[in-house]
Amino acid sequence: MHDLIRTEGLKLHTLRSPWLVLGAAPVLVTAGISGLVLSRTGPLDTAAQSGALAHVGLSSLFTLVFGILVVAGEYRHRTVTDTFLSVPARRRVIGAKLALSAVLAAACGVVSSAVGLAVAAAWWADKGVRFDWSDATMWATIGGGVAWNAAFAAIGVGVGALIRSLVGAVAVSLAWVALVEGIVGQLVGNLARWLPFNAGQALGAGASAMTRTDLLPRWGGGVVLAAYTVLFAVLAVTTTARRDVS
Amino acid sequence: MGAKAGATPRPHSRGEPDARERPTDTDADTDTDTDTDADTHTDADADTRLGDAMSAGITVDALTKRYGPVAAVDGLSFTVEPGLVTGFLGPNGAGKTTTLRMLLGLVTPTSGTALIDGRPYAGLRRPRRVVGAVLEATGFHPGRRGRDHLRVLAQAGGIAPSRVDEVLEQVGLGDAGGRRVGGYSLGMRQRLGLASALLGDPQVLVLDEPANGLDPAGMADLRDLLRGLAAEGRTVLMSSHVLSEVAQTVDRVVIVAGGTLRHAGPLAELTAAQGETLEAAFLRLTATPDTDPSGAVTAPVRG
Repeated sequence: MHDLIRTEGLKLHTLRSPWLVLGAAPVLVTAGISGLVLSRTGPLDTAAQSGALAHVGLSSLFTLVFGILVVAGEYRHRTVTDTFLSVPARRRVIGAKLALSAVLAAACGVVSSAVGLAVAAAWWADKGVRFDWSDATMWATIGGGVAWNAAFAAIGVGVGALIRSLVGAVAVSLAWVALVEGIVGQLVGNLARWLPFNAGQALGAGASAMTRTDLLPRWGGGVVLAAYTVLFAVLAVTTTARRDVS
Repeated sequence: MGAKAGATPRPHSRGEPDARERPTDTDADTDTDTDTDADTHTDADADTRLGDAMSAGITVDALTKRYGPVAAVDGLSFTVEPGLVTGFLGPNGAGKTTTLRMLLGLVTPTSGTALIDGRPYAGLRRPRRVVGAVLEATGFHPGRRGRDHLRVLAQAGGIAPSRVDEVLEQVGLGDAGGRRVGGYSLGMRQRLGLASALLGDPQVLVLDEPANGLDPAGMADLRDLLRGLAAEGRTVLMSSHVLSEVAQTVDRVVIVAGGTLRHAGPLAELTAAQGETLEAAFLRLTATPDTDPSGAVTAPVRG
């Protein structure tokens, strides 16, 4: 398994596109925090701090696309044939992709958090407000956000393995987050908080939620998101092992 | 290319698998990587594997693949022997590519078996060091450099990194390895695919339309390369539509149409029997399903 993960690492190392996707995450966090500070009418209190750092979790949209790229990119460019010729044990290949994507996404989340903290502290200093480094909610927000990043990368691997079309997988995923969870969510009311993106929002939420108020508690979001992650990982492994590659 | 063409032909005995490669390990999913020599590809190691080469043939037996009611491959049986270049011929839709994909473990047969060295592909412990394949559907990431593509394959296949530059030179891409594949011509991609197949110094080569996109010099290089590899005792199976090229390259032919075998045997025998060209024989054998009066369907499969 170690060799397989190293191979997957070398595949990513020799490309640029996956790193551009991950590199966009801290940029989004920087922009989000700056926008929050500039548009905020209330005080820059600890609730604002955790609200600012909640952008770390939102960058899971990028790790989701990253996870999709790791699998569907191979189908798109037909390198998957060579991959399975090298390692006919396809379950292990997908396992390596899941593990490496989740770890890299978590690392990306840590980098986004560091950048986010630096940006937020700078804004707070600029506004002459003390930045409270000991605010527990903010650190829970960061921890939840990093975990959300990792989970969505693994879910991305699953979506990529199920759909296999790179464009299709990205389109379906982003449409799901933007439309299905939002619009259908309003139709099904309270049930929407059980959907993956909303579970992630609960896990990485600040002191007050960003888009909806009826989220699960943080631990509940974590459990639900973990269940989705396992589900997609199992689907990725089983469907990839079974399907013909042509 | 063609660096090995002058090598002395190796004698080979048939049907006596080396004990190390006996077909006992058939469970791919419990691959435990017990191949201790895997990561050090030494000369001594290579010599040991050349011993294995003497048994490295392909055996296809009653192979069938159905997609719904349609049989893409229907009870196909043939063998491919070491030391020869075997042409795998058939019209479009004959089932050639599906057969090669089943042989390589990419497509699961509905029934029947396709074995390399007496084992299914998934049962080979280090498949890239046993079988080298170029498939039409194989691709390259356009943003990856040619050399990096091979580095990935070497890492995945347990092959010494030093092989990367060797095969780049062997296929004439020594100067292009540092460029991104997106800038390669079709012929250069074919060469890179060939380099991928040769990377593990395999005893069995499976090539799907390797001549596509090659210019005349590339064709001649390919012919010399394949003849040389066969002369070293390796098993070479290539599909092609370019019959004039096939006629100059192969020793044996396996002709399929409609998913069934139409003929298998030495090329010389086929063309000498009725004084035909390969093209005439091909068109006769593949013209109508299962009505060939010469009884080629039941001709001896072993040449």
